[in-house]
Amino acid sequence: MFLGSRLMIAVAAIGALVSAGAGAQEYPTKPITLIVPWPAGGSTDIAMRAIADSASKHLGQPVTIDNKAGGGGTVGPATMAAAAKPDGYTIAQLPITVFRLPLMQEVSWDPAKDFSYIVHLTGYTFGVTTSAESPFKSWKDVVDYAKQNPGKVTYATPGAGTSLHIGMEQMASMAGIKLTQVPFKGGAETNAAVLGQHTMLQADSTGWRPLVDAGKLRLLMVWTSARSPNFPDVPTLKELGYPMVYDSPFGIGGPKGMDPKIVAKLHDAFKKAIEDPAVIATLAKYDMVPNYKSTEDYKKFVAEVTESERKVIDTLGLAKKTN
Amino acid sequence: MDVLLNVAQGFGVALQPINLLYCFLGVFIGTLVGVLPGIGPISAMSLLLPVTLSGTPESGIIMMAGIYYGSMYGGSTTSILVNIPGEAASVVTCIDGHQMAKQGRAGPALGISALGSFIAGTFSLLALMLIAPSLASVAIAFGPAEYFSLMVLGLVVLTFLTQGSMAKALLMACIGIVLGLVGLDSITAMPRLTFGRLELIDGIGLVPVVMGLFGVAEVLINTEQVIKRDIINTKITQLLPNRADWKASAGPVGRGTLLGFFLGILPGGGAVVSSFASYALEKRLSKTPERFGKGAIEGVAGPEAANNAAAGGAFIPLMTLGIPPNVVMALLLGAFVIHGLQPGPLLITQNPGLFWGIVASMYIGNVMLLVLNLPLIGMWVQLLKLPYNILFPLIILFTITGVYCSSNNVFDVYVMIAFGVIGYFMRKLGYEPAPLVLAFVLGPLLENNLRKSLILSQGDLLTFVQRPISAACLALAVVLLVGPLLPSLRKKRELVALDEGA
Repeated sequence: MFLGSRLMIAVAAIGALVSAGAGAQEYPTKPITLIVPWPAGGSTDIAMRAIADSASKHLGQPVTIDNKAGGGGTVGPATMAAAAKPDGYTIAQLPITVFRLPLMQEVSWDPAKDFSYIVHLTGYTFGVTTSAESPFKSWKDVVDYAKQNPGKVTYATPGAGTSLHIGMEQMASMAGIKLTQVPFKGGAETNAAVLGQHTMLQADSTGWRPLVDAGKLRLLMVWTSARSPNFPDVPTLKELGYPMVYDSPFGIGGPKGMDPKIVAKLHDAFKKAIEDPAVIATLAKYDMVPNYKSTEDYKKFVAEVTESERKVIDTLGLAKKTN
Repeated sequence: MDVLLNVAQGFGVALQPINLLYCFLGVFIGTLVGVLPGIGPISAMSLLLPVTLSGTPESGIIMMAGIYYGSMYGGSTTSILVNIPGEAASVVTCIDGHQMAKQGRAGPALGISALGSFIAGTFSLLALMLIAPSLASVAIAFGPAEYFSLMVLGLVVLTFLTQGSMAKALLMACIGIVLGLVGLDSITAMPRLTFGRLELIDGIGLVPVVMGLFGVAEVLINTEQVIKRDIINTKITQLLPNRADWKASAGPVGRGTLLGFFLGILPGGGAVVSSFASYALEKRLSKTPERFGKGAIEGVAGPEAANNAAAGGAFIPLMTLGIPPNVVMALLLGAFVIHGLQPGPLLITQNPGLFWGIVASMYIGNVMLLVLNLPLIGMWVQLLKLPYNILFPLIILFTITGVYCSSNNVFDVYVMIAFGVIGYFMRKLGYEPAPLVLAFVLGPLLENNLRKSLILSQGDLLTFVQRPISAACLALAVVLLVGPLLPSLRKKRELVALDEGA
């Protein structure tokens, strides 16, 4: 009896040692949960599912998607930062709102401290369109008109404080013009608004593509770093003289304090995933292009984005009140 | 002739055995999720979206569409039987449908809602085939000013939803509007009434509110009145609507169909608004409006036809412009996109087999639904005989799972329970939940569109009367409001009508 229980302890101790060793060497030993802070079935969800599927092959463990939508994509990461253990088994997609919302209001997380950044993955394609019947043939026409009629040029966005809103305002301040934003709810409504000429312009992600293809909308510019292969004649922001790229980029991260070895494992697996041709093909359906940044570059990028957004949000009057 | 050829081609696609199977699966799942409170078409479709990837685009989209219109059939079942709307568009069916069930007329109520849905579904498909492209322009003719006026008209409908005190109904509507304000202000993205809670930034969900006010509250109130139950049991004799029921329902079904179809085309809650609007219209037109709220079959037939016709109408902007008018359609758009297809002006010409195949499959699906639902009526009615100590825990179980599934969020379950308790006291004190729900849905749309139209018009209020569609809506709203205020005039007219009749 006595011997028996001692033996048990010894066995348990050895077992614990072995599993501890295995944990460090062979992470992951169980399925990984990837929080996607958007509803299932949307463009981001489908893209993330394709990426997770490919990454799980490299990790040797399934990566399961947990859709925790809300707060413009912040509820999922915030819940993770507050509650999950930094063991690498709970990670989240980090949309740009995770960095932007703290500038605009009181939130429970600090993007500089509360996350372990893993890898930067991809971003969206944004563009500015106008109705095919509109007199604006190019962005220059818009600027000329706006100079003579300050505030008369209206543009539809999928919401106030989105990258589209902030990008348009930044452009307006560089061009020395005044534009009027009309915030709608999502791409369906902005398409209808510009088609029905309720607003003069539309700034949104590629939901406008079928309408541009059909010749009902005219695409004036895209906000990616290079021209879109689907619209080779349409200039980028940079070509128009605005040294910016707006693609609402996103990557993945975990709770703060993750083991660098585990971060490196996840980084490698997800990097390979966005190099996978099948993943690239899925991303292309939504005009997303892989935009890889290593763990270090991602951290730097977050700091830069936060700084540049702070300025824009201040000038737009969207910043939170500091008492 | 072209249309006939296209339709023939469509049926060729839809009648392929594999597509028939997917169509059946879709409408079957749709009926199920419609019947189960809380689990609406949105959660079912988003869960099943990855499954459709394996088949052809036609099969996947046929199944998705089947879930959507199938749920519109199923949604009325629980409204009628246990006063819990299966989905938001069936809220108004509760009012008279459940009263009918209490009077032992659950069969006719279920029957008229299935048959009314079938007629409306068939009509909206015919319209979709014949005039879809020309109607697309209607959807984009509505800008913020037009929506604002339409919402004003919608809120006027409120005054027809009440059976009791108007003051109490208006108070409920005000509460509904305030609840709708919770969350990020849609124009400036500032949080309102969130009390620093992250969960409230997106606002309060419609599903937990409806499930709480109707489902949980109904269970709570029923635990007090177990004895009345025998009355329901003994009186179930007739399973289908009789001739008198049909006579009363023909007009409401026809009007509900037209109303639903046109409101369905417009982006933003067409099915929900059209069911409320149809109820109000029938009550207004009825010679015996006092019967409404006490089991009038018109109050079931009209709204049920309207919400099914709206489901058909909603396909028009999606298929012709690529603009999804509601969340379900947005999911369907997702299904198109993952199959590499872009709904839009080019879809019908570039991919006629797909477009007409889907339309034809919807027709077949409607027939399937009718065949599926009519025999089920007998079974559903039997369900009422389940002892309450089994039925009630089951209802609570389904509402909790349903609410949790729709958002994966425990907070929503708390919201539902809170509204369940509130709903219980509201019923005890004679306050009705329907005006609250309608105001909760319309309030935020009203505010958002008012502010957007004022941004566009640079603060000029005249924009609402200068634009013809907007002006017409406002004029209609005034007529509806002022009409009942002239009772002496109305009485005179009624007397005249009686004299002539005699």
